[in-house]
Amino acid sequence: MATEKKKNRLKDISLRTDAPLVTVAADDLMPLPPPLDQQEKRDPYSSLSENQKKSYECSLDGVSALALPKPKSKEEEEKLVERFLRGLEKLLSQKDNWLFWQPLMQSLESCVRCQTCSDACPVYVSSGNQEIYRPTYKSEILRRIINKYIKKRGKIITKLMGDDIELNWPVVARLAELAYRCSLCRRCAQRCPLGSDNGLIGRELRKLFSQEMGIAPKELHDSGTVQQLRVGASTGISSAAFQGMVDFMEDEIEEKWGKRIKIPVDKEGADILLIHNSGEFMSWIENPVAFAILFEAGGMSWTLSSEIYGFEATNYGTWYDDVQFARISLKQVEVAKKLKVKKMVMGECGHAHKGLIVIADRILLGDMNFPRESFLPLLEELVCGGKLKLDPERNNFPVTLHDPCNFVRLMGIVEPQRRILKKICPQFREMEPHGVENYCCGGGSGFAIMNSMNFKEWRENISSRMKLKQILETFKDVLDPGIRKYVCAPCSNCKGAIRDILSGNDLWEKHSIYYGGLVELVANAMVDMKKPFIEWEWH
Amino acid sequence: MGAMILFIFYGSILFFILATALRVRRCMKAPIHLHWELYNGSSIYELTNWWAKTHSTFGKKLWSMVLDLLFLREFYHRNRRFWFPLFVFHIGLYLLIFWHAWLFIRSVVGGIETVSILGWVWGTFSTLLTFIGGFLIFIRRMTDEELKLYYPPIHYVKWIFLLLTLVGGVIAVDIHFHSSMPALLKYVREQVTFADFEHKLQPSLMPAFHVLFASVWLIYLPFGHVFQLFFRYYHFLRWDDVPYVKGSEIERRMKEHLERLVTWSAPHIQSGKRWKEVASELQQTPVTGPK
Repeated sequence: MATEKKKNRLKDISLRTDAPLVTVAADDLMPLPPPLDQQEKRDPYSSLSENQKKSYECSLDGVSALALPKPKSKEEEEKLVERFLRGLEKLLSQKDNWLFWQPLMQSLESCVRCQTCSDACPVYVSSGNQEIYRPTYKSEILRRIINKYIKKRGKIITKLMGDDIELNWPVVARLAELAYRCSLCRRCAQRCPLGSDNGLIGRELRKLFSQEMGIAPKELHDSGTVQQLRVGASTGISSAAFQGMVDFMEDEIEEKWGKRIKIPVDKEGADILLIHNSGEFMSWIENPVAFAILFEAGGMSWTLSSEIYGFEATNYGTWYDDVQFARISLKQVEVAKKLKVKKMVMGECGHAHKGLIVIADRILLGDMNFPRESFLPLLEELVCGGKLKLDPERNNFPVTLHDPCNFVRLMGIVEPQRRILKKICPQFREMEPHGVENYCCGGGSGFAIMNSMNFKEWRENISSRMKLKQILETFKDVLDPGIRKYVCAPCSNCKGAIRDILSGNDLWEKHSIYYGGLVELVANAMVDMKKPFIEWEWH
Repeated sequence: MGAMILFIFYGSILFFILATALRVRRCMKAPIHLHWELYNGSSIYELTNWWAKTHSTFGKKLWSMVLDLLFLREFYHRNRRFWFPLFVFHIGLYLLIFWHAWLFIRSVVGGIETVSILGWVWGTFSTLLTFIGGFLIFIRRMTDEELKLYYPPIHYVKWIFLLLTLVGGVIAVDIHFHSSMPALLKYVREQVTFADFEHKLQPSLMPAFHVLFASVWLIYLPFGHVFQLFFRYYHFLRWDDVPYVKGSEIERRMKEHLERLVTWSAPHIQSGKRWKEVASELQQTPVTGPK
């Protein structure tokens, strides 16, 4: 259990003040190990400008993830509070929220307030145990609002059930922001002896705000799911642009590694439709390139798709909106059906795994329940089944593995990636803790792509702090910049978050800590490559 | 007074049975949820073509449930300081529940006079364990900053009431019945067999109080945390959920759900249509920000 806790009464959430309930300062933060222990102390995030403070809600912790405009009148405030209450009623109704009613009720009703979950939360611990980030904080507030305003239990019972909370606009605005201070890694749920899932409560709150009030981060909604449904990918890539990228990949492979490969696109009847997070094409094209090299070398029958929805594995609806989630899942499966492939395989994207393979499973009925699986068992067959000629000596540098929450703790794919790394990386070393006990990269549930106002600073210095600590501790004996090190993060969002903490702390420049995916390491170990696949060029 | 005690005692048993049945029915009738489980290790998704592989982990789940309930394994691994009083309390409570069941059966099966003194030892030991565990939990809840946090006042009342119930039981058995098992069993037999109503309508104060306290617990129990546990295991809410299979019960129930109307009100939702229509349509309006 953590030792020092910050006092903060639950009822403070109703305070009618623009001043934040908490402002996290440099001295509050969890200390980092060498070499960052000597770093000059600085506050984790800067204050918003006066204009921003006037326009947007930031009275939770001085951070704005949502750019939520302040209501212009008392009437508008009351209307919004009323809409929140109607949404809360729907959240608790079997009829309106059938998709998650059971686990939500379980989580709301079974918590015994033992606080066993608190120290499992990387945000709570990294921030120096700020009460507002405690996993049970938002859940307890919600519970008390439900007791008073939905169950209407009367004054005495409400009082006996805990401190009275007055529901007003500041509560609603703070809860909206609070739903985006939890990365839904669900480490707290894993820790709970009774199965109460505070991560789910966070997600359901996000859902209430999106589905009832139209409040969601722009990066997830406007330029996320809405854009994906309109043009096919949340990055905005069109079919034509995608085809151009594939051509570029083929030229790149020939030029750099001396192999001429025809990357199959829209090949009807192939065994496998491989779907990448389209962010890979924009930021880490070496990842789909490595997949292409490996699948061709392994003699796989596979294809990519240039159809709208067929070249994007992401589904941000997973994190905040059931309707958007269902729409995107169905569109993705339709592409596979049309191509008449045998199965869909998810590339290195954690939430796409959990979303399409697991969460969508029961809304894909009949023929729409198309076979879907992870790339990991397939890659293990290629690597450990002797289908590729590999030389582990080519990866003879310290490598560690980051476990993406979505396909490890939330899906149970734990060992294939380890067997692969042990086979091809002689200096593989585990982070502690790892596997299903891993810590989130800090970029989960959309955080990696959310950059509103000072939210990016909050993410890098609080949400990702535990991952940064883990990486430094794992490489503590090889910090010498002469030794190149590799953080293997087989998930696009995790890669983005890890890139930002490494670059934000100059860890590549000063200590040669690099990052990348898993397939890049496999391609790097291939014996028939003209030159090493990994180029050690920061991007 | 006597009639009221009688009414409360039998009424609470009836209430317990009915409320439990309703709660279980509500639980079983609840809409099937989407997959949202967690994993404590490797799963079937580590295999290629996992949908074609056997997926039966019933025995494992059952064993896990036994360990969780009996030894509070999760608390042992994750919150050792709190585990000890909880474990003492729960072991005592389980023994006490079994002792009561034994009392009911033993009072009508076999001669009352031949009962062994071990019956008294069992009851006293269980009560003592439950009391010590409960008392330690209460103290820990009062003094530990973390455990005090968000703990509703009503639960402190609950613990005090529980300790009083246990004390009431000791007073009834050891003072009123002078620790005599035959006397106790004779009293229990009267309750179980609905015999000797005259006696029942003018009950002795000490056993009557204990019965009254126990009745309050019977009324409370169907709404307590114990039933949440049932909920959790019945629906596999946490570990290793059941995948969809074509033509299965899951499919039938999901089809019903997809016929439901979507009632959420944000502009992008298209409220009023059915789930299966909404999920397959594409008209979208960016709607970020309060409208």
